[in-house]
Amino acid sequence: MTTPANSSNYSIQTRLVISFSILLFVFLGLTSVVLDRAFRNSIEAGASERLQVQIYLLLAAAEFSDGEFYFLGDLREPRFGQLNSGLYGFISRPSLGELWRSDSARAFSLLDAQVLRQSVQIGETQFSKTMSADNEEYFVLSYGILWEDGISEFNFTVMENAAPYYSEISNFRTSLWSWLGGAALLLLLVQYFLMRWGLSPLYRMARDLKQIEAGEKNQLAENYPQELQGVTKNLNVLIETERKQQERYRTTLGDLAHSLKTPLAVIAGVMQTLSKKPDDSNEQLGAVEEQLGRMNQIVSYQLQRAVQSNNSSALARQVLVKPIVEKVLDALAKVYRAKSVSVTQYLDPNAIFYGDERDLLEVLGNVLDNAFKYGRGEVSIKTDSRIESFQGLEIVIEDNGYGISEEKQEFVLQRGARADTLVQGQGIGLAVVTDIVSSYGGTILVGPSDLGGAKITMGFNSPRQTT
Amino acid sequence: MRLLVVEDESLLRQQLEQGLSKHGYVVDVAEDGRSGLFYGTEHDFDAAIIDLGLPEIDGISLIQQIRSAGKEYPILILTARGDWQDKVAGLDAGADDYVVKPFQLEEIVARLNALLRRAAGFAKPKLEFGSLSLDIAAKRLLVNEESVDLTAYEYKMLEYLMLHPGQVISKTELTEHLYAQDYDRDSNVLEVFVRRLRQKLDPEQTLKPIETVRGQGYRFSLEES
Repeated sequence: MTTPANSSNYSIQTRLVISFSILLFVFLGLTSVVLDRAFRNSIEAGASERLQVQIYLLLAAAEFSDGEFYFLGDLREPRFGQLNSGLYGFISRPSLGELWRSDSARAFSLLDAQVLRQSVQIGETQFSKTMSADNEEYFVLSYGILWEDGISEFNFTVMENAAPYYSEISNFRTSLWSWLGGAALLLLLVQYFLMRWGLSPLYRMARDLKQIEAGEKNQLAENYPQELQGVTKNLNVLIETERKQQERYRTTLGDLAHSLKTPLAVIAGVMQTLSKKPDDSNEQLGAVEEQLGRMNQIVSYQLQRAVQSNNSSALARQVLVKPIVEKVLDALAKVYRAKSVSVTQYLDPNAIFYGDERDLLEVLGNVLDNAFKYGRGEVSIKTDSRIESFQGLEIVIEDNGYGISEEKQEFVLQRGARADTLVQGQGIGLAVVTDIVSSYGGTILVGPSDLGGAKITMGFNSPRQTT
Repeated sequence: MRLLVVEDESLLRQQLEQGLSKHGYVVDVAEDGRSGLFYGTEHDFDAAIIDLGLPEIDGISLIQQIRSAGKEYPILILTARGDWQDKVAGLDAGADDYVVKPFQLEEIVARLNALLRRAAGFAKPKLEFGSLSLDIAAKRLLVNEESVDLTAYEYKMLEYLMLHPGQVISKTELTEHLYAQDYDRDSNVLEVFVRRLRQKLDPEQTLKPIETVRGQGYRFSLEES
């Protein structure tokens, strides 16, 4: 079952990217609004100034006589004389309305003629916008004047089509958004790289921890930034403490084994002496002996299980398999020297066991000891770390003994099982092997060998796969 | 055959000493690693049984030090934990075999016999020299396939000589391997045993299996068949 993603699962980098991006977009959005408004204001102020000049031109050329305006000189602005040029001049009185309009405005009509009737203080200008009858926007500047006669008040008004200005604003906006978009992308990119750089010690720590978990490293490195050194030092202490604790645990169990099994050996010796005496109690002695055997088996099994490492502690180490196999084979060659066992080895020099060396020793020791013990002089061992079917380690041990019949194959992997009771032994070897292999999430198969005896196949996945 | 037993548990040590003595071995015992090292390096033994969990000097170090001192007699280790780490470490240190506690005395005896045979270069449990055949496991002598009765000391002496064929064995060496340390050593007794053995092995005096090497000792002179 997969856990639904929620905000608490986001990585630190994702959190930083999201918050920085929000900040960036808010900042750039506000900047664009402010810049847009400032540019628009500046354009309108520019338009107002230009219209002011046009009003001064009109004033300079205007003559008023007999209640009518006429223009003697050149207006110096050809657009006033050009029909529908987009620049229109008007003279009006708030009480009477329009008194004069420039030639350019002959065909021009306003949507709302009240614009020309608005009252403007003498000497003041008033900037506004209006719409023409054909729905175009115009900038309007009105200037209130008192004529030379000292009585007549007029409004000089100039209107100019706003479309060119708006086109300029639109161009500015396009350009502004392109630049801001580019800047946003650049900043996001810079932010990503800065974040990678800033968070790289954390990534390195995560990588180091995975390597420790996989057994490729024993400790975190010491060259972390100052802020993390407290954490890394404490983690190293924790890892070391965990290892030492495991070691202490094993030592204590070893001592416990010694203190339990030595008295058992003494009792066994006493029983043996007693059983040799001709006595009626021999039957009872047999029962005690049987219980003693069971006690020994239970103690052996539980101690073996307890001594094997706790793989879930995630402090695996990398163990090269070949030297361990050779070590066990050397030991067995000594023990079974009289049997002159021929061992065929197909050992992958790079095969690695991700776990505790003692567990590998226990697995190899028990299975190879069985092969030497039950085989008839021929043993084969193959280790391979490049199996096509799965990425991990495979160990195959075969012998040319009598093999293990199908009905006994499952039995020998069980606790306390010993298929051949004729040979002395604790009877827990393969059961312990099964426990160890299972604790690593591995598999163990018992089957017939081409050599004629038993074939034990053990598979261990690499920790990177199991996590 | 003279054995060294190094075991710290006094009852077990006593059982081993008594049990192995009953099987015809001469047993010296040590209760810790330090005295084990003294005995193991200062005396000649035919084999040693060493417990791995010893006080003073642990079993593995003791084996290493005995081997470093040039002693080559076979060593059987006793291990309580029985894990392969211990077994491999012990065998790697120089031991020759292991027995996991608790054990039956017969198992120890069988392993010891195998080790002693192996150390003498015999692969089979029977030492066969022409018409003579000595079964070490059954402790039985056959001459021309007929069983011949031997006393315990006669057997011990013959076994020792047959395990070292062609070698001159001094009277001192023979005495050491036949008797416990504090036993009265009278070389005349040896001569009596040798004479009796010669009569039992070769009544017609045609084979002459045990030679006397003047001033040096005895030699078993038959060739292995």
